[in-house]
Amino acid sequence: MTASTDYTAQEIIVVAGSKVLEDNKIVFVGTGLPMVASLLAIRTHAPGLIPVFEAGAVGPPLKCGLPLSVGDSKTFTGASYVKGLNAAFELTQRGFADYGFIGGAEVDMYGNLNSTMIGDFPDGYQNPKVRLPGSGGAADMAASCERTILIVPHDKKKFSEKLGYVTSPGHLDGSPNARFNAGMQGKGPYRVITTKGVFDFEEQSKRMRIIHTFPGETVDSIKAATGFELLVAPDVSEFAPPTVEEIRLIREEIDPTGAFVKRA
Amino acid sequence: MKNSAKMFWTGLSPDEAREALVNKDKSMRDKRMTLKEAVSQFIKDGDNVGIGGFVNVRQPIATAHEMIRQGFKDLTLSFQSAGMGPEILGAAMIARPDHCSIKRIELAYWAHEAFGLSPTWRYLAERSMVEIEDWSNYNMSIRFKAGAMGLPFIPSRGPLGGDIKDSNRTKIMDCPFTGRPIALLPASNPNVALIHVQAADMYGNCIIRGSDATCSEIAMASARTIVTCEQLVSHELITSAPKDVGIPFPAVDAVVEVPYGAFPGACRRHYYFSGDEIRNFLGLIAPISKGGSPDALKAWFDEYVFGVASFEEYLAKLPFKRIMDARAEEACAIERLA
Repeated sequence: MTASTDYTAQEIIVVAGSKVLEDNKIVFVGTGLPMVASLLAIRTHAPGLIPVFEAGAVGPPLKCGLPLSVGDSKTFTGASYVKGLNAAFELTQRGFADYGFIGGAEVDMYGNLNSTMIGDFPDGYQNPKVRLPGSGGAADMAASCERTILIVPHDKKKFSEKLGYVTSPGHLDGSPNARFNAGMQGKGPYRVITTKGVFDFEEQSKRMRIIHTFPGETVDSIKAATGFELLVAPDVSEFAPPTVEEIRLIREEIDPTGAFVKRA
Repeated sequence: MKNSAKMFWTGLSPDEAREALVNKDKSMRDKRMTLKEAVSQFIKDGDNVGIGGFVNVRQPIATAHEMIRQGFKDLTLSFQSAGMGPEILGAAMIARPDHCSIKRIELAYWAHEAFGLSPTWRYLAERSMVEIEDWSNYNMSIRFKAGAMGLPFIPSRGPLGGDIKDSNRTKIMDCPFTGRPIALLPASNPNVALIHVQAADMYGNCIIRGSDATCSEIAMASARTIVTCEQLVSHELITSAPKDVGIPFPAVDAVVEVPYGAFPGACRRHYYFSGDEIRNFLGLIAPISKGGSPDALKAWFDEYVFGVASFEEYLAKLPFKRIMDARAEEACAIERLA
């Protein structure tokens, strides 16, 4: 396996995201990079991965290529079961989804995610500084999938102490049983994948913790780019760079038009 | 009971929704008409409009064009995830406020996935031009489902934990059976549903291919439903597999055959997304947020909406290749003999 020396920040996110996915599990796939990572996992170590898309498709083989939408025709062809949004979300609420795989604009140390607004909530809710698309299905996945995997571009402002808005709840305030007490199901955020590394959540405090640094980053460089205090796993290690073959799969076979994985 | 946000109904209250259906002519009659007739007869100023489809899949684009042509004000738009439907209506509100005004939006997501964010959503929200009520996809979908079930509310886990529950009319109570917190969401019963499907008969029985999205629930919850379809077929063909009928005729008020009625979005078996057309349209709006002139956007509406009498005439103005590309791309996802 030759290591690639020419890959982008988004490409290593995709590779790291795919590696978190276990074979033969059901993953509820959000739009964007999670779709690319799931396809890469299916093409490499997890041929038995079962993707579910919130518009309704369960377990499509995705032989027609990368869907541009979670309601894309390509998610339907060959799927085992397709109804609509209600049926898909009820699968997660019932407990059929092992993982939810979502992205967001802003994250805090407990894995709470914002994809709604930048501004002053609740007072400035009707007058946001920046209005983002909104939850889509992310809040439902966060509330009901057994575990969630988050993708967030690493940036000091985006890894913040206090979010402008909590769209998709993670470990809330980190207190014991916080999710259960709020009425939610599932164990919450499991991994965070960023442009700088891979993170988990420390068992007791539920705080975000560095487990892998991406090539070119160090624990200190990542800490310096984070707006809250990160924990460091005792066995923190460097993440192996993507292989030439992984990068070829992403560029030539999975996302040849750069629909989600930007080359720059 | 926590979260005692002030309660009000948008569209119809559950009792009004029941009454509307009781008083409706539910006969199996010919409901074919032009889109112009359907829009003028079944949409009113101030309506809560339920938008079918999902992001840019089966959005009721032809109906949105006709609405702008006729002009409506004080609309509430309700949808889970939408793209070009609200984009065109919202852009009309920017370019031609005399022909479209949106008062309120109840939504889970407004953007275009692979085709980018919505410049119109940012423009309207960041200038406080519309009232906003955020929900999640499942929240909006089961709000329509509750409306379709004839219930005033439905329990859900969806909004628990985060700030969504404090952005809307969610109430949280301790479940009377488990004792754990559970969210109760008010039903949504829109005044009118706008639904685009692959096939319908003249009575309004509909067949949907690909994701059902939440179209059946929205149609069943609404007081009135306008269906546009790619293909108008015989009652015998539609009912040859009765379980394929996703929306039953009594829920439908108007049936209009509009091929490419969801373009530049996608419609399974017929055409894929026209990324070029979507990006072109978004490109007319983005500069306006930065203080640019709305002239190019106004010109688009003048040419493609006000300058034509129908959606067919708009399509006829597009490069033929753009339509053929969208057809060819869809053919990749669904190989079959003609």
